[in-house]
Amino acid sequence: MVVCLCLNQVRCKQYVGDRHESIICPGCGCLCDDLDVTVDGDRIVEVSNVCLWGVSRFFHAKKFHPKKERHRLREPQVRHQGRRETATYEAALAEAAQVLSRARRPLIYGLTNSGSWAQEAALKLARSLGARLEPADLAFKAPYYQSIQEHGLAWAPLEVIRDEADTVLFWGANPIHSAPRHVVRYAVFARGRFTERGIEDRQAAAVDIYPTELARFCPLFIQINPGQEVDLVAGVAAILAGEPPPDPVVRGTRRLAKFLAQAACGVIFCGRGVSYGPALELFDRLARLVALLNQQARYFLFPLSSDFNSNGLYHLLLNEMGRAGAPDFGTGEVVTHYTPVDFREVDAVLVAGADLLWFLPEEQVEDLKRRRVPIVALSPFANRTTGQAAVILPTALAGIEAAEVAYRMDGLPLVLKQLVDSVLPPDHQVLTDLHRMIGAQD
Amino acid sequence: MATAEELLEFLPGTDCRQCGVSCAEFAGLLLARERPPEDCPVLHEPDYAGFIEALHELLGPLTAAAGMRVDPEKCNGCGICVAMCEFHLGNCDAARLGKGPRPQDQMVFHVVNGTVVVVRQELCTRLVQAAEKCSKCAQYCPTEAIELF
Repeated sequence: MVVCLCLNQVRCKQYVGDRHESIICPGCGCLCDDLDVTVDGDRIVEVSNVCLWGVSRFFHAKKFHPKKERHRLREPQVRHQGRRETATYEAALAEAAQVLSRARRPLIYGLTNSGSWAQEAALKLARSLGARLEPADLAFKAPYYQSIQEHGLAWAPLEVIRDEADTVLFWGANPIHSAPRHVVRYAVFARGRFTERGIEDRQAAAVDIYPTELARFCPLFIQINPGQEVDLVAGVAAILAGEPPPDPVVRGTRRLAKFLAQAACGVIFCGRGVSYGPALELFDRLARLVALLNQQARYFLFPLSSDFNSNGLYHLLLNEMGRAGAPDFGTGEVVTHYTPVDFREVDAVLVAGADLLWFLPEEQVEDLKRRRVPIVALSPFANRTTGQAAVILPTALAGIEAAEVAYRMDGLPLVLKQLVDSVLPPDHQVLTDLHRMIGAQD
Repeated sequence: MATAEELLEFLPGTDCRQCGVSCAEFAGLLLARERPPEDCPVLHEPDYAGFIEALHELLGPLTAAAGMRVDPEKCNGCGICVAMCEFHLGNCDAARLGKGPRPQDQMVFHVVNGTVVVVRQELCTRLVQAAEKCSKCAQYCPTEAIELF
């Protein structure tokens, strides 16, 4: 901590505020642990070693637009006769409890950008409400977990990937946009125990449907057309098994097979791009390919999470429910769904740690508006969902204004510290209060 | 040649952002010759009389500027340049491992508030005669934010 003892701290040259070193960033799934944060009172003035995703959290800016400020929500609001009015915390909570307990098919959505305590509180709330709990990235992660369970694939800590992986393939992933420091900290540029020369000791390649920034450092960049993904994996698997590739042969199949075969230790990072096609089939094929490659060298299949605690949610679901999907408590016995919810069945939504209306197709958004499905939104920032919400409960930023626990993209749990004070409650407290209030109503 | 730290000594250090950026970022922009000292409105106050002239003196004539310019509009703070820098390779253990440099480390540049800021340009190996061809920071930059000249 660096504090000047003179009284005129603002003008004093020696005063630079309280310095916190090695802080964990709640910006993306990397959870970088090397940030140095300078705090002056209740204001963060400088953060070192942080990418623009982290900046968007620390300085309330828009992602990749650090000069555009995001509007911060400060007071609870309730929609009354079509107009939103400021309300007390207790009144907003009571309204939210009424909306959710009246619903026949309530849904709790998001939670991938919430801390683990909030996720636990949301799961308890879903149980008592008889609601369905839907992770925001279900279409991407559920087929992934199904496929690695089917083929018995192993995981590795990111440090092991940094130290040992000499072949890295990005499939439908652009870490420069989803987790900007991932390639520097672990995947491509970092120098590890057996990769002492960093990128010179590694081979990097990418498969995508359009050119990305990865082409700057991936000598092998295979651009395919949408719909060719499964054929490409099938062709590569056939070549690696010593068979001729089945028709149609996608351009780049042989080069990719040669690239994957030369590894001593390899990793395939899958991004959200995988979920835009036949995700289950593609993940199954990729997992089968990795199982085949594992006969010759150690290979890992890894999802590239952009939300900072997506992994924590699936960790919780696997621990509590035994399955990595969306548990539905509304049908008597618990049913786990692996495909995204049909919003036409839903009659009330609680959104936390995600922007539901941003991700939904426009026709589904219109359908929700037309049927006047009430939305309860827990969010630190104003977004499209809070714009349509019946009840808005502002929350403190996890990992900056409130302590939390988050799981890194490789499953490592980390404790996020509180750096500045906030008058707003953390989202786990809001969910717990909501749970208590719904219990009292019953 | 002046360093960003030396320039910061002559900036208000209040991070008021009236110029649009923090004082540390403004020092980096001064060093890269992208903004003149006059752009800081606080330096025009009577309390800071003489600071603008001192900054001009520290920066020296325009021709002394050495060869790197970072475009803060393009930079996304990924830190690939920090990890690839030849100077950091031999002098900064954290950067070798892909982490950000520690405050006590000697460094050419590091990432502050999501943008690369040049700290000590005189340490860049491009200024060493035998290594003038080094351009790894610009070569691997995914957003083409670094321009060498």
